[in-house]
Amino acid sequence: MKVRSNQPTRRHALITGVMSVAVLALTACGGGAAESPSAGSSSAAPNLAEGGATTLTMWVDAERAPALEEITRSFKEDTGIEVKLAVKDFAAVRDDFITQVPTGKGPDLIVGPHDWLGTFVQNGVVAPVELGDKASEFQESAVQAMTYDGNVYGVPYALENIALLRNTDLVPEAAATFDEVIANGEAAVAAGDATYPFLVGMDPKQGDPYHLYPLQTSMGVPVFGQNEDGSYNADELLLGEPNGVEFAKKLVEWGDTGSKVINSNITGDIAKEKFNAGESPYFLTGPWNVPDAQAAGLNLAVDKLPTVGDQDAQPFIGVNGFFISSKSANALAANEFAVNYLSTEAAQDAMYDVGGRPPALKASFDKAASDPIVAAFGEIGANGVPMPALPEMQAVWADWGGTELALIKGSGDPAAAWTTMVSNIEAKIAEQ
Amino acid sequence: MTTFTDPQAVAPAETRAGGSGRVPEQRKRTFGQWFRHKGWRHVVGVVTTLFAVFPLLYVLSAALNSNGTMAGSNVLFSRFDTGNFEALFSNPSRPFGRWFMNTMIIGVVTSAATVFLGALAAYAFSRMRFKGRRVSLLSLLILQMFPQLLAVVAIFLLLNAITDVVPWLGLGSQLGLIMVYLGGALGVNTYLMYGFFNTVPKSLDEAARIDGASHVQVFFTIILPLVTPILAVVGLLAFIGLSSEFVIASVVLTDPDSQTLAVGLYSYVAQQRSENWGVFAAGAVLAAVPVMALFLFLQKYITTGLVSGSVKG
Amino acid sequence: MLTSAPPGPAATRPPQKTAARSDSTLGLLAKIVLLGLVDAFAVYVLITLFLQEKWVILLVGAAVTVLINWIYLRRGGLPAKYLAPGIFFLVVFQVFVMIYSGYVAFTNYGDGHNSTKADAVNAIQLSAQQRVPDSPAYRVSVLEADGDFHLLATDPDGGVSVGTTGVPLEEADDAVTDGTGKGVELEGYRTLQFGEVLANQADILAITVPFSDDPEDGSLKTSDGSNAYVYRPSLSYDETTSTFTDLETGTTYADTGEGSFRSAEGEQLSTGWKINVGFDNFVKAFTDPNIRGPLVQVVLWTFTFAIVSVLSTFALGLFLANAFNLPDLRGKRIYRILMILPYAFPAFLAGLVWSGLLNPEFGFVNNTFFGGADIPWLTDPLLAKVSVLVVNLWLGFPYMFLVCTGALQSLPEEVTEAARMDGATAWRTFTAIKLPLLLVSVAPLLIASFAFNFNNFNVIYMLTDGGPRFDGTTANIGHTDILITMVYEIAFGTGVGRDYGLASALSIIIFIIVAVISAISFRQTKALEDIN
Repeated sequence: MKVRSNQPTRRHALITGVMSVAVLALTACGGGAAESPSAGSSSAAPNLAEGGATTLTMWVDAERAPALEEITRSFKEDTGIEVKLAVKDFAAVRDDFITQVPTGKGPDLIVGPHDWLGTFVQNGVVAPVELGDKASEFQESAVQAMTYDGNVYGVPYALENIALLRNTDLVPEAAATFDEVIANGEAAVAAGDATYPFLVGMDPKQGDPYHLYPLQTSMGVPVFGQNEDGSYNADELLLGEPNGVEFAKKLVEWGDTGSKVINSNITGDIAKEKFNAGESPYFLTGPWNVPDAQAAGLNLAVDKLPTVGDQDAQPFIGVNGFFISSKSANALAANEFAVNYLSTEAAQDAMYDVGGRPPALKASFDKAASDPIVAAFGEIGANGVPMPALPEMQAVWADWGGTELALIKGSGDPAAAWTTMVSNIEAKIAEQ
Repeated sequence: MTTFTDPQAVAPAETRAGGSGRVPEQRKRTFGQWFRHKGWRHVVGVVTTLFAVFPLLYVLSAALNSNGTMAGSNVLFSRFDTGNFEALFSNPSRPFGRWFMNTMIIGVVTSAATVFLGALAAYAFSRMRFKGRRVSLLSLLILQMFPQLLAVVAIFLLLNAITDVVPWLGLGSQLGLIMVYLGGALGVNTYLMYGFFNTVPKSLDEAARIDGASHVQVFFTIILPLVTPILAVVGLLAFIGLSSEFVIASVVLTDPDSQTLAVGLYSYVAQQRSENWGVFAAGAVLAAVPVMALFLFLQKYITTGLVSGSVKG
Repeated sequence: MLTSAPPGPAATRPPQKTAARSDSTLGLLAKIVLLGLVDAFAVYVLITLFLQEKWVILLVGAAVTVLINWIYLRRGGLPAKYLAPGIFFLVVFQVFVMIYSGYVAFTNYGDGHNSTKADAVNAIQLSAQQRVPDSPAYRVSVLEADGDFHLLATDPDGGVSVGTTGVPLEEADDAVTDGTGKGVELEGYRTLQFGEVLANQADILAITVPFSDDPEDGSLKTSDGSNAYVYRPSLSYDETTSTFTDLETGTTYADTGEGSFRSAEGEQLSTGWKINVGFDNFVKAFTDPNIRGPLVQVVLWTFTFAIVSVLSTFALGLFLANAFNLPDLRGKRIYRILMILPYAFPAFLAGLVWSGLLNPEFGFVNNTFFGGADIPWLTDPLLAKVSVLVVNLWLGFPYMFLVCTGALQSLPEEVTEAARMDGATAWRTFTAIKLPLLLVSVAPLLIASFAFNFNNFNVIYMLTDGGPRFDGTTANIGHTDILITMVYEIAFGTGVGRDYGLASALSIIIFIIVAVISAISFRQTKALEDIN
């Protein structure tokens, strides 16, 4: 769920907005105050007798805090280092971190999604993390997502991606293509079992390119080109691929003025409620909506993402992990905690138990995959691509979402709208 | 503050006669008269109340529905349970009770101080003549018009610097937060009080001064009692503003135990796609209780009005 | 402004003396105690500042302390005594914010230019350390000899070697190993316990053991005190020329005075730093096509929005205050409480709730009040504006209601009574007598309310986010955007990050506009005032 943090939805943005607005400015005073935490503090005659009184500060949101308590306790027992968990609003973490690190008052560690990385690196607030041989114990896509400019910057702990939820009482069989999905859905509606053939939440102001991305990739229109090592190339905007216009036409076809398979008036909340009430056989969403659907008594299946074109329907993968401040005065202790404790099976199990997101550590994932829902999401995620962490994404989300939403509403010529969007995004990236 | 009767209210009842009153205690009136005098006020009251309240019923409905979303349904109160309220009080990492207390303490201290600082300034502007008086008044108002878009960064830096010198007044300190809030104590508040102070006749203080009272005594014993309605209004406005402020509070207060309601509650919905609207709504409903209680308590001061005797004095 | 002027009317009598005499001992005592507390605190702060050698703040602090004492100890200067406490907080917490924004407006502060050059160099150097591909992982112990730290490294094959900064790794076959084969002790050195490692972490992290005499082979570094890897920097920094050189391609990145390291080809390293850019942000504010394009429409709507919001909330608030200003009206307490509720509710949540209520297909408003009609409240340009105004009325009228209720209480009853005696109708009494009196105290608040709504970011942002979007602009700006949301969009919503410098410059420009308008309106209200 945090994956999309670069694309502010309104409420998010309000806060991110208002706060974040606040967030960036610290350097002027900050520099002076905290210039030299790492400059040789005591090299001549180190007082070796002292030590062990170190305290680490970690920003964490209220949801994850309980999961980390156990592991911080055992860390303290082993090393004497206390990890202070400071609970912060999730929405404020990224921007406050960027603002506060330069002052030296920032935390040593934070928890967050990988797509914050681009901005963090741009602002010089995170330090690389060397996973060493442990890297191979994590799922490859998780480590890849944590890699930026050739360096690994975080210890991953969970992955998430969307899938197609199906109410098996309404449609018993899985479908492979989106056309079949629509057909099944419309059959269910025609039979009077359902009201909506298909559901996906749309932000009323920004649409939802994140959820629609698999449909788009299946038509061969990824957002950016990828380098050989899997990293994204900001100079290679692929939204302008010829099939992009085809996708735009499809959006109009599915939208408010067409078959209404995708309805711009259905927000994430409404979609969830309708699906849980059994009013639709399909819901394109992530694992975060599964527990409530199960609680509502639905018989669920997790289907592969349906394709529109002839290519794979690749979802975005969001990876959550731990980052270390580039100005941490306790970098060694922070590394010890992140690399040698948070990467353990026990820690990753605990995070899974509390957060319910599939673990990034293979051993923990295998355990979690005994739950067929987790296994199914994981299988679909194996086919996904990390959400781009490039700072350029901020420019992309707004135009991309706005244009898709306009198309779904049926306003404008699809070819012209899509082409304008591509040239707008290109112009913004070039401005930089 | 003795009983005082509104001539508007009483006069018609006394002077007009006849008609079979719909209202027992005002038998002498026809329905038409009653309506012209009071009935329309009820119509206005009911209509406006509906306008004011119907969006909030939505929130209340969500608060009482433990598997609820916020926007999905048009059926209000389709379910009725207290699951959200239980969840609110059963999470040790989100100490709702503490948040509530913190908000009350910060809110009451800050609004009391705001009223006091504002009243001091308003007294000076209303009762004394000095060079630059109008310019100062104008500056107070205009300073508050600066777009606050960037305020938090500067405030963080400032408190950061204060932390280095006086840790208990800096980041993480409720006292520090109160000081930040007091930065806005003048401005509009002073204006509001200034206008009201001006309606208290000067002759009152002059008489007191002749009797030997100092300016301080005049302020505390003559002026303040006469302006309680505006003090109550400013206090209430300040409290309401503070109780929903979370941008500055979330930067200043980091420890969950020291946070305020607005900051803490916000964390329930800050997380995209795993927002917990139901619990948030329950918290927001409870958070509105102190405001209502305070309003109830202050209402008698707000509407007491000036004692005519004193005014004439 | 603190100059004492001819004392007020009351003081023109002999009162100075009288007042002084009548100052009770209690009052004097209170004054001494309060001032003493303030001074004690000030001295504490000043001593701390002295110990921390923060001279500038120390001087300012001392000056403020002296000023406060002067204000309260001297005779006369009465207004200053009453104004000082509020103004103290105002200056520290509001004026500072403005000065700081003024400073930021002349910098490129924002994403990518977030800190000092030293920080940027540090961050680039950190990121430039890249592990040599396929190099082995070492297990290390930290040793100490003569106050210097050394790394005792065990390679995966069990070979143990030792070295430190400037001293390449050499074999240490006589090292003592533990059960796992890891070297833990070496003669002539003392092995550090973990606690000691922590206490000296800055120095230990700085240890860079050359792998061999050839720098190309990289060097061994540890980040946790127990594992070490061979790193080779991809960039090297030359402090004298202030340039980074890419060790692989030889490209040089120089500080070009734009707050980042750039190569001759214009490529720049990802982390930059904050510099002063003079008037660049102001120039951009007036020349950016994204701003100029929709500017006229946005400005017109900003004024419409602010003025209509003030008038509508005031009209409704005043009407209600008047309607319920009747002592024996039944249920008015209930009405009042219920009407205050919108104001007591968190504004951002209110925006979201309304956004849901106004959903064309599922919203409560269309379904309940308009019989299921499909009215596009938030997506039609005109209706969106109406919706924004109605929601803002909902949010704002309780404030005006409260203020007017308070202000109505200040009206002397005998005035209206007299009017009634003269046979004036209720309406005439209201317009001719109550309203003008009311405006005396309320007019400045209306101006303040105008200024607030002029910058009312939340309601627009939460409800429509400025939409529906204008055609033909690359920025995400729409029919309901006001200046402040446009600034937000331009400075934070587009491009590749937030630009605080530009945002500050735009904020200052907007502030000047609002301040001038307000100052002019304020002069107009002078006529309303009964005293001056």
